[in-house]
Amino acid sequence: MTPARLIARQSLSGLTRDRSVLILIAFFAAMVLVTAWLGWSATNTVDAIYVDAATYLAASGQPVPPNPVSQSAPLAVLRNLGVYISLIGAFGSIVIGQLLIETDRRAGTLPLIGARPFERSDLALGKMRAMVTATGAMMAVAAVISVAMLFTIPSLVVRPGDLLRLALFLVAGWAYITIFGFVALGAAARMPATASGLIAATVVWLVVTFVLPELTANVHPTAAINPVSTLATTPDSVFFHLMSRVLGPLSLAEGFAWASGDLLSFLPDGLAPRGPVPPAVALPVALILAGLFAAHSSAKLDLNAGGPDA
Amino acid sequence: MPDLLPSLSGSVTTIALRDAREQLRDRFLLWATLALIAAAAVSLVTGAIALHGDAATYAAARAQLLALGKGASAIAAPEFYPLKLMRGMIEQIEIMGAVIALVAGYRAAAAERGRQTLALILTRPMPHWAYTLAKIIGGMGLAAVSLAVVFLATAILLPIVSGIGLTMGDALRLVLTWAAGVLYLTALFTLGFGLSLWAKSPASGLIYAFALWILVVLVAPQIGDTMDPDNQVAGGVFAQLSIPKAEQDRIKAGFAGYETFRNGIEVASVTKHFERFTFAVLGIKDTYTGAPLAKVMAEKQGDLLFLFLFSLGLGGLALLRPINPDRLTKES
Amino acid sequence: MTKAIPAVSTSGLSKSYGDAVVLHPLSLDVPKGEVFGFLGHNGAGKTTTIRLLTTLLAPTSGTARVAGHDVASDPIKVRASIGYLPENVRLYDRFTTRENLTFFARLSGVAGPVEAVRETLDFLDIAPLADRRVGTFSKGMRQRVGLAQAILHQPEVLFLDEPTSGLDPMGVRQLREIIEKLHARGMTIFMNTHLLSEVARSCTSIGVLAHGKLVFHDSMQAVADKYDERSLEDLYVGVAERGPEVAA
Repeated sequence: MTPARLIARQSLSGLTRDRSVLILIAFFAAMVLVTAWLGWSATNTVDAIYVDAATYLAASGQPVPPNPVSQSAPLAVLRNLGVYISLIGAFGSIVIGQLLIETDRRAGTLPLIGARPFERSDLALGKMRAMVTATGAMMAVAAVISVAMLFTIPSLVVRPGDLLRLALFLVAGWAYITIFGFVALGAAARMPATASGLIAATVVWLVVTFVLPELTANVHPTAAINPVSTLATTPDSVFFHLMSRVLGPLSLAEGFAWASGDLLSFLPDGLAPRGPVPPAVALPVALILAGLFAAHSSAKLDLNAGGPDA
Repeated sequence: MPDLLPSLSGSVTTIALRDAREQLRDRFLLWATLALIAAAAVSLVTGAIALHGDAATYAAARAQLLALGKGASAIAAPEFYPLKLMRGMIEQIEIMGAVIALVAGYRAAAAERGRQTLALILTRPMPHWAYTLAKIIGGMGLAAVSLAVVFLATAILLPIVSGIGLTMGDALRLVLTWAAGVLYLTALFTLGFGLSLWAKSPASGLIYAFALWILVVLVAPQIGDTMDPDNQVAGGVFAQLSIPKAEQDRIKAGFAGYETFRNGIEVASVTKHFERFTFAVLGIKDTYTGAPLAKVMAEKQGDLLFLFLFSLGLGGLALLRPINPDRLTKES
Repeated sequence: MTKAIPAVSTSGLSKSYGDAVVLHPLSLDVPKGEVFGFLGHNGAGKTTTIRLLTTLLAPTSGTARVAGHDVASDPIKVRASIGYLPENVRLYDRFTTRENLTFFARLSGVAGPVEAVRETLDFLDIAPLADRRVGTFSKGMRQRVGLAQAILHQPEVLFLDEPTSGLDPMGVRQLREIIEKLHARGMTIFMNTHLLSEVARSCTSIGVLAHGKLVFHDSMQAVADKYDERSLEDLYVGVAERGPEVAA
């Protein structure tokens, strides 16, 4: 077994024994379940409202528009999943990235690892391998639950193409949360104070999720975590058009929300992604850059520091 | 043996003042305040630009209608209430302010545990709850100072971005919002402090605090917001179906049970109470725009009471829970 | 003639976590003015005992009195009578020695904290460190400031938990000299330690704790009459492994 693989295996084994990680994954799984229920319940309500409204419109001699529910695709029932991936999934990934470094640092095992005969890059590779595996496992949990829910909800007709779209959505979700995991891993490697990596990555995540959407499209924080409200058109002003072009590619939360809407088929007609770079390019580029940051930082990790009260 | 036993208030003041000085020295307060000011400024400026955009669109549409010889009453004029621009800023306090408060609470506990100074303080002649009380007072002071600077910056910025000066009434509304913000952030500080003090390691405490933050501050209101049928369809279901307001209310009445459940999820979150109170006081919510403060306070005293009791309850819980001597160091 | 109240007195003092007994019922008297060395292997229960006596931990059963005050019913008076130096203390890194000490002096209710700090700095010969930030200090310097916070209010009983841990030989010697000076002032010192040489040089009585049980307790004079320093190690290892009969 290569050193990188050994480190990855040891790190993953440690994660599975960490209560906070297990609680977060259970929380994430529970929210994926809630997603399907939310979608189903809200859709039923809109459907019932439509029946009432159609009766009124017909009685008052007005034209009856088509039912918004009948126009939505089956995958749209999972529209909240993107939000929970970008909230709980990203946070779980940040915690994992932080723990991958901090656990060794607090245990005082970094000098012991550093005294072993292998390259520093193996340590970085091992930690990153553990990171992508852990976030992959989270998405696998989301995949199993959402597929099971899709086939359980009565009135939904799921086609093979839908499953392919769901798979692509989950890959996008994996890339999105892994970006923040890499940022946390790199930050934890660079900053030895307890929980610094966690705090630094959380700040990056807060800015991406709640500040950039205000600048690009005046999307307030609460709207930013609503799967429908966040897909707002850019206000028609020079400032927002400029900001949208400049910051759009960096506004990863909006990019992921747009990709979610596109892949799960609830994107408003004609809504373009913010800025000139589509999320299909921006997300992989951000993942590569975050990966390089994590690799460089963990390869330069100070292996002398550590101990329980460091 | 010392000449006199220290007074309880003296010990509490000594600890709280030391904490305040430390916060000033390590610049956490400065960075936290600057971050909140930046977030608030972004919200105010983008809100103002969007409003100016709406005004320009309205003016163009109005001119077009008048040119066609029609009346302009068919389109609603955008409202100019400067305090309404604070919507994004209040939401930033709800979310970013809450994270800063949790981290401040974590730091207050982790620092003492890491340096082993907790044991030194707890072996001084004062009850252990006095230590917790001093820390909470310190956190409250931190929130008060930080938010005061943010609100002061807002009061200066608002007339500039909106072009409308603030009245004394507006200032009073700002003070009330500041006070609610201090209560809200103190509650979150206490949560971060308590969990970081009680957890096996302070970092685990912070992780649990963040997880609770996601649940209480983001997920619970988000579920309530998402379940709102009007948020299920882009532009709103009623708007898309072109249903008049009176008919909307009749249809909504048929979903009273669903609405009660949805509201129940929302009000389980202290954040929602903070939001409802401040949105009403500042007139951000349309039904309260321009309403007299006395009327708003009468209608929203329940939200303020919840906020107060929540903070008090959390503080009481923190004071009553004994400090575990196995948690005197960072890793135990 | 009335018998003098011991500085530390425990009766059946025990601590358990569920089924795990960390400290078996401990009955022990440490007279005033003693330098008591508390020996034991790692995990023997020494730190637990100190935490019980400093009111940081509540006992499962039994009683303990420190400076005549009950730790359970009168914890504030106990805390007013003691000084405590935990193992590996770091103090407030961003504060100077003087600021750290003034803070703790105030918390201890010292009437003139500024004066008390100055006297303590002089007593410990660390006045040159007074206005330097503790974060820049070596382990030995930090330990002295830690000791300063423990004695600046002139407690009746001083608890030291592994005070020599991590110190170089010079630091150990300086600490021993300080302990001797404090002893000369009449302060009672209760010290957890691993260093038998320190026990032999500084302590007036010793106790040995093994697996939560007190297996040996006698005056240093009595020990010295029977054993030299080399044999003290044999005595310690013997009683820790096989029980008090070894010392007989």
